[in-house]
Parts: sequence; C-alpha cells; structure tokens
Amino acid sequence: MASGGSNRSRLLVIILIVTSLFLITLDLRGVSITKGSRSATQSILAPIQRGVSDIFSPVGSFFSDIKNFGKTKAQLKELKAANSRLRTQAILDADTKGQLAKLKGVLNLAGRGGYKVVSARVIGRGSASTFSQTITIDAGTSDGIQKDMTVMSDVGIVGIVKSVSATSSIVLLMSDPTFRIGVRIARSQSVGVLFGQGSNRYSLQLLDASGSINQKDILISLGSENSRPFVPGLPVGYVVAVDKTTASLTQTATVQGYSNLNGLGVVSVIVSVSQGDPKDSLIPKPTPTATIYVTSTAKPDTASATASTMPSNIPSPTASTNQVKKVKK
Amino acid sequence: MSWSRAGLYSLLLLSLFIIQESAVSKINLPITGFSLYLAVLLGLMAIEENFGGVVVGFIGGIILDFSPSADSPFGKWALVLTLVGYVFSLNSESIGDFTDRPASFVIFVSLGSIGTLITFLCFGVLLGENNGALGHNFVMVLGNAFWTLLFAPLLLPPAIKWRQLTLTSRERQ
Repeated sequence: MASGGSNRSRLLVIILIVTSLFLITLDLRGVSITKGSRSATQSILAPIQRGVSDIFSPVGSFFSDIKNFGKTKAQLKELKAANSRLRTQAILDADTKGQLAKLKGVLNLAGRGGYKVVSARVIGRGSASTFSQTITIDAGTSDGIQKDMTVMSDVGIVGIVKSVSATSSIVLLMSDPTFRIGVRIARSQSVGVLFGQGSNRYSLQLLDASGSINQKDILISLGSENSRPFVPGLPVGYVVAVDKTTASLTQTATVQGYSNLNGLGVVSVIVSVSQGDPKDSLIPKPTPTATIYVTSTAKPDTASATASTMPSNIPSPTASTNQVKKVKK
Repeated sequence: MSWSRAGLYSLLLLSLFIIQESAVSKINLPITGFSLYLAVLLGLMAIEENFGGVVVGFIGGIILDFSPSADSPFGKWALVLTLVGYVFSLNSESIGDFTDRPASFVIFVSLGSIGTLITFLCFGVLLGENNGALGHNFVMVLGNAFWTLLFAPLLLPPAIKWRQLTLTSRERQ
C-alpha cells in the first residue's frame, strides 16, 4: 500500500489504472466473470430491495407529490368528500389496492393481445450514478422470465428485460437513451424508429420518405422476429409535435409515451404470444361521453314534466355510457 | 494507507452501496436522483493523504462497478474514480486541511461530483457508448451536484469521524 515515497505512490496509481483498464478490456471482450458479478450482485440485492420496497413505497413518491401539489390542490375538496365515503367502505391496504388495479389493467391489456404474461412488482430503480434508466422487478428465471422479453404496464410498453437472476430481473426502460424500438403509426401504417430521450418524451423518425405523421397519431410496436425483444401490437405512445424542418430525408416527431415510467408499481413480462399479431386492437380508445340536448318549452314546469315522462323507447342517459345520445324534443 | 483501513473502507463503502441501491435510489427526488454513495466516497477521497484517495477511489469504483443497473463496462467506474483520486491527491497540499473549513469541503465535494460524472461521460464517449441527449446529461450532473450540496453537510461529519477512528497510531503521527 502507499506508505512510502512518491515513486512508490505513482507506481500504485499506475497499477490501479492498468487493473481498471484490464477489467474494462475483459468486460468488452465478454468474459463471463465480469458479467456474472453483476448478476450475482443483483441476486444478493433483490431480497433487500424487496424488503425495503415495502417501507419506501409511500416515501418514494413523496417529493414528486410535493412537486405536483399545485395541480392537486383543486382536487383536495373533492378528495376530502371521497375520503369520508371511503372510511365506511371495507378497509383494504391502499398500496395493495393500487397494485391490484394496475395488475387488472395489465392483465386486461395482455388478455386482449393474447399475451401470456408474468406479473411482477417493481422493487427498485436504477441508481442515480449509473445514467441508465432501469427498474428491478421481483420475478426472475424461476418464474419463466428470460433476457430480451417485452415488459408492459396497464397502458402499453415499458421496456425490455436487460438481465435476469433467479428471483429478480432488471428492466431497461424505454426512456433510456440507448433504447430503440420499431413502431407503426396506426393511422397511416407508416413504419419508424422511436428513440429514448431520458424522459417520457421520445423522438420518432420515419423510415419511409413518403410517410406522414400527424399530431395525436397513435404508435404501436412493430414487433421483432419471434416476438423477442418486442411483441407486435403493443401501444407505445402518441405524437405530440411534428418536426417541420426539411433538413432530414424522413419526417421526425416528438412522442409522448403512454406508460408513466416514474409511477410504475406492477408490470408484466410477456413470456409468449399465443394469438400472433393483435394488429390495432390494443390501441387505447377515448372514454365515451354522453351528450343530452333538452330544448326548453313554454313553461319551466312543463319542461321538467316532459323530462320525467320520457317515452320508454328512449334510453335513459344514466343507463347509456357506450353511445352518444341525442334527445330532442 | 494500511491494509486494515482499506478493509474497513471496503466494508463501509459496501454498506453504503447496498443502502444506495436498495433505498436511496427508490426516492423520486425532483430534478434527478441523489447518489449518497458518490457523495460520501468523494468526501472520504478528499480527506485522505499520501495517495490514500487513489486507493479509496479504486475500491469505491470497483464496488460501484458491481451495480446491476449499470450498463457500462466493468472497471469503468474504477478507472474514473482512481483518476479523480489521483487528481485529489496531487492537489491535496494546495487545498489544505478541509476539516477546519466545512463549507469549502461541501462545495469541493459537490464540484467533485460534477467532475466525476463528466469524466464518466467522457470515458463513455471514448468507449463508444451512447450517453443520450446532452441536455439530459447536463441536468443529471447538475441535479446530482445540487443534492450533494444539500445533503453533504449531514453526511460529511460522520465520514470525517469514521476516518479518524480508523487511523492507526502510526498514521496519526
């Protein structure tokens, strides 16, 4: 160790730098010792992360909640009323209930796409010092998960499995700058590549020079060979801005992802696709709204009377949620 | 630096690494995340004498290379932190003793975190890695420095105390 003179210290520095360079070379040449070391660390850390996850679950979003305080202030009154109503309902752990809702959403989407999935809880996020955007989930090879499988949330794609240990897996999020995915525009069927940008906004570049992008165009995954790493037909995001420059040969656009990657609680890993390409069947549909037009009559009393005595063949507005109803009198 | 101190430093850094990976990284701080591990490591490197910072940097770098979420080559953090430790050691005499100037110490560690992360990104470019958008990296580096500046006053006094406790009687002289 460095306790002697300056030359000895410099020799130590050189030895340590050479050792580091040697390790980098080994890793870049694919020596399994270095690859296995991270996998072993993951196996050791997974049980600790799982334990800490339960404690940190409410604390984890504390600062983001503070950030959004202004937005949620308006909802405070409504939430207070809802709170008193909820007190009377069955007491169920809020965290479990939230995870259940997410899980239902994920399974619903997976079911419609004909995907066989393994659901897992998010137990960790990538370290702040590593620059890569990852999450750790509590399912691994023992649950049938393998490297390069697609990971989805209740609204769309989340990322791909980057590495797997027996009981946990690391998922590379689609926001990671190294992430690339082939996508198809649902409206025009044009094909393009989506690039991760480090946030929930992505960059889209069309491959077809004659293709067009419009605002609010919906993007779905193109899929890979044998559905690895990407399954086809999964919602990815929608176009929020189209780049008007003529500098590039093909059009580019900014895309907003469907999945909120900062608020993931439960995700599903697609282990197989049983029905082939689901085409556009998984595209999120807008929530239906009911519009009622009531024309006033001569006397207000009469108007109320006609509304209460509507013919039985006209469906009640409260009962109709799937179609737009126009009732004219 | 004696072998026993190197062992004790390894244990401390390993514990911090586990805390960082399993707990601290789960907190969604605004701007970007905070690296408790990097803040304490840089603090320890800054107060070491006679190239001790180089050894601490190398040990810390090797431990950080084990991070499962890292997709950089194994050994990259060790190389970066060894070089940062070397720079710290070369300038240790001109910087002087930090233990009497806590404010300067905190600022130095924050600037050190900026330098370390930028060096890490530069090595990534040299190795042909995709570091992502420049603006995003800029925010990440500055965000980390901001949180380091904020939390370092709480972390560094125990780090200094730890160093004093682990010094052998020969090293105290």
